[in-house]
Amino acid sequence: MSASLPDRSRRPRWAHLLAQNIGLELSVFLLVACVLGYCGAFYAQQQRFPGGFEVTSTVNNTMPLVLAGMAQTLVVLTRGIDLSVGGVIDLTNATAAITLGDSPGSMVLWSGVVLLIGAACGLVNGLLVGLGRLQPILVTLATLSIYQGVAIRVLPQPGGQVPEVYTAVLANTSGPWSLLYVVALGVLWTGFRRTRLGVAVFAIGNDPQAAQANGIAARRVVILAYVLGGVLSAAAGLFLAASATAGDATTGNGFTLTSIVAVVLGGVSLFGGRGSAVGAIMGAFVINMIVNILFFAHIDPLYQAFYEGMFLVVAVLAANGIGRLARVRR
Amino acid sequence: MSKSFGGVRALDNASFAAAAGEVHALVGENGAGKSTLIKLLGGRLLPDTGTIRLKGNEVRLTGPEQAHARGAWTVFQELMLFAGMTVAENLLLGREPRGPLGVISHRRMGRAAEALLAEMGITHIDPLALVEDISLAQRQIVEIVRALSHEPDILFLDEPTSSLVEREVSWLFERVRALRDQGACVIFTSHRWNEVRSIADRITVFRNGRDVGTFTELDESEAVTLMTGQRLDTLFPARPPEPAAAPVLQVQDLSGPRVDRVGLALRPGEILGIGGLAGQGHRELFLLLFGADRPSGGRITIDGHAARIHSPRDAKRRIHGLAFVPEDRKTEGLLLGMSVRDNLTLSILDRISRAGVLRLGQERRQAQDMMQRLSVRAAGVSSPVGALSGGNQQKVLLGRWLMAEPRILLFYDVTRGVDVATKHEVYQLMVRLAQEGRAILFYSSDAEELAELSHRVLVMREGRIAAELIAPGITAEQIVSAAVHERIAA
Amino acid sequence: MMGVRIDRDQRRVLYAAAAAVLLFVAGELVRPGFASGQGIESVLVVASFVGFVAAGQMFVVLIGGIDLSVPWVLNAAAIVMVTTTGGADSRLVLGLAATLGMGALVGLISGIGVAAFGVPAVVMTLAMNGIMEGLTLGLSSGLTCHSCASYAPPLIQAAVHGHLLGVPAVLYVWLLVLLVVSFALSFTVFGRATYAVGNSARVSYLAGIRVSVVTVSLYALSGVFSALAGIMLVGFGGQAALGMGDPYLFQSIAAVVIGGVYILGGRGTYVGVVAGSVTLVALVSVLLALNMPDYGRSIVYGVIILGLLLAYGREEEER
Repeated sequence: MSASLPDRSRRPRWAHLLAQNIGLELSVFLLVACVLGYCGAFYAQQQRFPGGFEVTSTVNNTMPLVLAGMAQTLVVLTRGIDLSVGGVIDLTNATAAITLGDSPGSMVLWSGVVLLIGAACGLVNGLLVGLGRLQPILVTLATLSIYQGVAIRVLPQPGGQVPEVYTAVLANTSGPWSLLYVVALGVLWTGFRRTRLGVAVFAIGNDPQAAQANGIAARRVVILAYVLGGVLSAAAGLFLAASATAGDATTGNGFTLTSIVAVVLGGVSLFGGRGSAVGAIMGAFVINMIVNILFFAHIDPLYQAFYEGMFLVVAVLAANGIGRLARVRR
Repeated sequence: MSKSFGGVRALDNASFAAAAGEVHALVGENGAGKSTLIKLLGGRLLPDTGTIRLKGNEVRLTGPEQAHARGAWTVFQELMLFAGMTVAENLLLGREPRGPLGVISHRRMGRAAEALLAEMGITHIDPLALVEDISLAQRQIVEIVRALSHEPDILFLDEPTSSLVEREVSWLFERVRALRDQGACVIFTSHRWNEVRSIADRITVFRNGRDVGTFTELDESEAVTLMTGQRLDTLFPARPPEPAAAPVLQVQDLSGPRVDRVGLALRPGEILGIGGLAGQGHRELFLLLFGADRPSGGRITIDGHAARIHSPRDAKRRIHGLAFVPEDRKTEGLLLGMSVRDNLTLSILDRISRAGVLRLGQERRQAQDMMQRLSVRAAGVSSPVGALSGGNQQKVLLGRWLMAEPRILLFYDVTRGVDVATKHEVYQLMVRLAQEGRAILFYSSDAEELAELSHRVLVMREGRIAAELIAPGITAEQIVSAAVHERIAA
Repeated sequence: MMGVRIDRDQRRVLYAAAAAVLLFVAGELVRPGFASGQGIESVLVVASFVGFVAAGQMFVVLIGGIDLSVPWVLNAAAIVMVTTTGGADSRLVLGLAATLGMGALVGLISGIGVAAFGVPAVVMTLAMNGIMEGLTLGLSSGLTCHSCASYAPPLIQAAVHGHLLGVPAVLYVWLLVLLVVSFALSFTVFGRATYAVGNSARVSYLAGIRVSVVTVSLYALSGVFSALAGIMLVGFGGQAALGMGDPYLFQSIAAVVIGGVYILGGRGTYVGVVAGSVTLVALVSVLLALNMPDYGRSIVYGVIILGLLLAYGREEEER
């Protein structure tokens, strides 16, 4: 070929992956640092290292946030934000508490219904954002209020009952079985990232115009992202019900903001198109570790929010700084 | 076909036809409607009136996928790539190779992309790199390869060569000819006349949103006459008189992102042209001079004193007297949601206020004066600037900086995307400003402009000044050949 | 800022004002006396607190930001007010300076994080909210400190409850805020720069506007207005309480949006926000008059906001 262009040496695949996933790498680093800090604080307090019981309770406690963080990731990747995550968790948690019966059939059926409710909530958000062309932050702020209201209507007082078997399956306290769920979610995400829908979500987050020009049905993908987010939030509601063995229509309120924190700590860009739900999973564990560290370090619980806030600022500033350095070096 | 945006008619009953087995060039000034036409044909816009026939059948393209289904693929001017995704993901979007589990296999995708690129004779682009990490020219090639890989029957290329160097252009043309010889129809637009001449079988000329004729033979001056509706020699005013001897702005060894030890001297009354291919550091040089980027070395001297410019705010101070008119009105020039007045006075708010309170009467008068001086066509100073035509928007942007009474004007491709009449006015304005003793540093992607207006032209290549041409006797060909010289030799 | 665009903006202010009037009419139908002088007065007084917070929220929304630190800045302000003055008018100046200064400082830090370090506004102000929550709870030992139970200085209480010419004093304060904020936005370099940065930070920067300074100032102002709301609320209720700021995050954002401020920045007026605040509070009052339970109010609230968004949103298509 007469007009061939100059050759250039290739970087190996791993070098690319390393350079292209700095956000994820930082969240791994953060998690490792937090786990070490936790072990240190735990040892200083208990003169032994955390064992099976601690691992089990940590994983069970973090599961709902893992799911909420993944829900938030899906929406954030499309350049959106979902403030209704907490409302969906409230509603699904409350519904689960009053519907789950003792028979396996009832449990499976109603779990499915609860997940469908989550999907419906997500669908409302998605339709308003995708077809109504409204700002995600406003839409989900409004639907948050609606879902919270419905949740209280469903379960005015904390209560209801969750069968023991259900708790044993979702939030077994006899061993860290929930780790399996975490791994499964990670695998599911990796698979999702490799489906046409997964690619489309990233494409839209990168450049909605280009996505449209490449024949991606942008509205449908955005709507689906919100629906899937709703399903994941509903799963969080189920896990919360399982581990509390009862329901509470306000239990999800805190998850709206903590899910955003998990996403940020997981290295997902709030501007869309970059990041991984695996990062958000790690972000969720980081948040839980911080709470544990504060506990074992004898921090006055009144100051807890202060340290969490400081940690968030410092972590984001550090990540920004490192990201910028890496970009300059490249 | 016709298409209007706001009140502006971008396409006005334009028609053209291209046959299978031909390369058909669309030429015309910026704003003549070529890109709009391509967007209509590519399915990104729907025409207000008129019809499109592909392969003889009338079609209604409500989305790009409908054009794709009929074998028509488009490379749009503004590249449609995903910056945060890899070259391979971009190339194979929507037809990713699957692994055994039915999910996309990144390994196979990398190999498939590599093979695809190699098949097209491209070996210098790493399929695993992120698009944001490769050069503009490489991105353009990726976009072209993506369209070619669909083996289109009809291929639309909108300014496909805008950031390619000569060798890459000849690569593209080889592919285009091969495609034509297989019986496909290739329609492309370009600003470079040489390219049009070397590849096009037929040429359709557009002016002001209409087609003015289709030709098999057309020489350059005829084409320019058709495109502009006037002779070349009347478009450009006479060059201003020789400038003063002592420079007002001196730059020594200035370095920064993509700028490598640039030195230049600009004298009062001088129009100093900066030329070169896209992406050779001109933009970065202008941003450095205006304080919008941080230099890594070098010195800027104004009136013989070292200038301390750390921000555009410093640059526009009276002691420096710099003004910067950027090319991209939408993202860097104008506040499209605000009024003509707000836009005109944005850089002189300090001068039309007392103790932080705006003197609205004075502001209004000054804005009106400037509107008159530049004959901006708008309902009034309170009209939103977004509703104005491209040419009038550009005048508002120029007006903003004239209000600041600058001594040194940095004009960055200011005639891009404006109509011929406005171009003519801008040229006259530049000459007048030079006659008043102001110094103008002038980058243009249009070599003709540089050749006709500048006292001197500095050609940049890879961040450095590669050649200096001195008037009279500068030609557009000289500028272009200086711009690509080293690439050809290498 | 006139022509087509202001027409649309004015229309939005009219929508919000009309909604408020409609709600008063509806309230009168549901419960006679709702739209009487006294009924309107009580709605306006409650709306003024939303209005103070929303003034600050509007400033940051005008440049495409958001301030999630409202709840605990407000709460901290109320507590700082009672603890520094100990309920004595003699220490009022000190109390005001400390409280408003605290608000400004918090906003300043948020603004620096956003403007200088590029932290997304959502993350920065969320973190500041946590920091203020922790500091407030910690330093006041969960509001059990000795001076925490102090009452607001009588002058502050009078500034809320006192009547002048038959109108509650707090409404004069609100009117003053309305005048000052509107003047600042329409007639000063700072206001013009705010709209410019909200339209495009890059364009503004290249035109020589000090984008960072404007940004930081706006966040600081948001802190000041949250603190002002805290002072007024503690004057209204007499004492500080934990969690008293919580409702104001949602309400301030809702008031700003109902008032026609564009959430991505660059467009909107405080007159609209005032109308939005009144609408919001009138809505809650009507629902209360209907004896609607909490959950019902929450649902209707969300539905009405969505309805207004859809009414406005139709005009947003081209953007």
